[in-house]
Amino acid sequence: MEALFVNLAAVLSGWLTSLGLSPIWADTVLLFVKWIIVITIITLNIIILIWLERKVSAFFQERLGPNRLGPFGIFQTIADAIKLLTKEDIVPSAADKLIFKTAPMFFIVVAVMLYTVIPMGQGMEVINLNIGLLFFISIGSLSTIALLMAGWGSNNKWSLMGAVRSVAQMVSYEIPLAFSLLGVVMISGSLNLQDIVAAQGKLWFIILQPIAFITYFIAATAELNRGPFDMPEAEQELTGGAYTEYTGMRWALFFLAEYTNLVAVSALMATVFLGGWQGPWLPSWLWIIIKTYGVILVFFWVKWTFPRIRMDHLMSFSWKVLVPVSLGNILLTGAGIYFCRWMGWC
Amino acid sequence: MNGQGLIKGLGITFKHFFQKEITEQYPDVMPQLAPRFRGCLQFEFEKCIACGICVNSCPNNVLSFETEKDENSKKKKLLSYTIDFQHCMFCNLCAEGCPKQCIYFDHNFELSSFKREDIKMVYLRPAEMDMREEESTNGQEQQESKEQKQIDAMQKALQKNPGKVLSKILEQEEDIIILSELMQSDEKTAGKIAELMVKDKEKAAKVAAGFVNKAKKNRAKTETAGEGGDAND
Ligand code: SF4
Ligand code: SF4
Repeated sequence: MEALFVNLAAVLSGWLTSLGLSPIWADTVLLFVKWIIVITIITLNIIILIWLERKVSAFFQERLGPNRLGPFGIFQTIADAIKLLTKEDIVPSAADKLIFKTAPMFFIVVAVMLYTVIPMGQGMEVINLNIGLLFFISIGSLSTIALLMAGWGSNNKWSLMGAVRSVAQMVSYEIPLAFSLLGVVMISGSLNLQDIVAAQGKLWFIILQPIAFITYFIAATAELNRGPFDMPEAEQELTGGAYTEYTGMRWALFFLAEYTNLVAVSALMATVFLGGWQGPWLPSWLWIIIKTYGVILVFFWVKWTFPRIRMDHLMSFSWKVLVPVSLGNILLTGAGIYFCRWMGWC
Repeated sequence: MNGQGLIKGLGITFKHFFQKEITEQYPDVMPQLAPRFRGCLQFEFEKCIACGICVNSCPNNVLSFETEKDENSKKKKLLSYTIDFQHCMFCNLCAEGCPKQCIYFDHNFELSSFKREDIKMVYLRPAEMDMREEESTNGQEQQESKEQKQIDAMQKALQKNPGKVLSKILEQEEDIIILSELMQSDEKTAGKIAELMVKDKEKAAKVAAGFVNKAKKNRAKTETAGEGGDAND
């Protein structure tokens, strides 16, 4: 079980080279297959996640949630997806058409790109980048542009307001996000995510870096536009923020991208702080799924507990609390490492 | 400490996560409705007297009816009654005004239907109603029911004041007392005498005399037996 997918990939590439393809082409085809698998996983995940979020939020509010379509309402999301696909695609006449139409595509592409570096098991990643973590952070921040495109292209005051908020929020939370991961990088000494996982063989980084974990969690919530930091959407104030003018499948793409981002960030959190794919008894790819879903459930829990905070509080929290704390954490980590070396422990 | 409230909040939602749902599980479990819940209007055709109070009181023109004048009794006759429920605002004015309580709300709230026309409810005059009317105008049966009424009245009078009633068929006071005692102990006798008194007075007198004689004989027998018993002691 453990090496199931790795072996499958090896068999496939072996078969391709035996067909007379040069290794480069075989690798390209393999990469393509990997992407298709990733996209399938994402789509399946979204179906489960949307259902799960509705169910979990219902339980938090002592309701039942969707329970009509299929056992426990599991087919509800599929029905919703079909409904969204068949809806009219409205482009506002005053919109900047090109930007309006490309924004959702850009958003989803950026979200899917995050999966390139996430180790989904032992030796299971699309590309083993040695600057994986950096790649993840930089690609992740690109989604700001997609939201700004959507807000600007819609030519609607609410959309633009939402977009401006999202830019302000994401740019300011990017800093504590990157800083909190820096502590982990300092200890493991690598930006490669597989190396970071390997460095947690004995002790998970959530124990060594609790402050980093909390700051990362908060910053990631803001990056994901999830409650209580869902200012760019803010249904009650901005009628959906940057998504206001979108309908049907375009809107669904935004939704899809948000959940894709959620899974990616949760998977990164599981990788960096919770020991990645390591775990006893079960195969590695199952462990990462379990851990990712655990983190996702915590995200749900936080979202359905706290009310949305005010924009200025959000900003001041980032600059006055999170940035100093994460900087302090780096200082502490550096001092700790030197202390360790001085004592001869590592 | 800062952030204590956040933890507390998370704890509260965590607790609620495992609590039983408090929502109404409607299609699976029917909701408990208050006794005066206004669901669907119900109409009882037979009780309606076609007074038109409901039709006049409805602010939304939901209700309408058709009437006809009966040639025989010169009474207003209700032919059909229509409730176009889609315009109803459940104000209850119709039900409040009805003197016969024949229009009222029941507890059925599942009123959705596929077509607008299906919401409209039309009540037509039931055929049995006309038949029953014919029966009641039929002479013989009417008389019979009249007689029955008289018999009932007589029976009641007998119970209340036997002396006065019985004096019509019996002459001696002693006989009257005997018979009234007999009637009190046996309802059948009372019923028979009342019936006969209405239908045929002479026959009633004869039967009454027979009853009295029989009672007298019985009494005489028991008296003598009782005396004999005393002597033996
Ligand atoms: S409840 Fe009010 S609106 Fe409805 S039928 Fe009666 S009087 Fe008319
Ligand atoms: S008020 Fe009552 S009795 Fe009068 S017409 Fe209406 S339903 Fe019939």
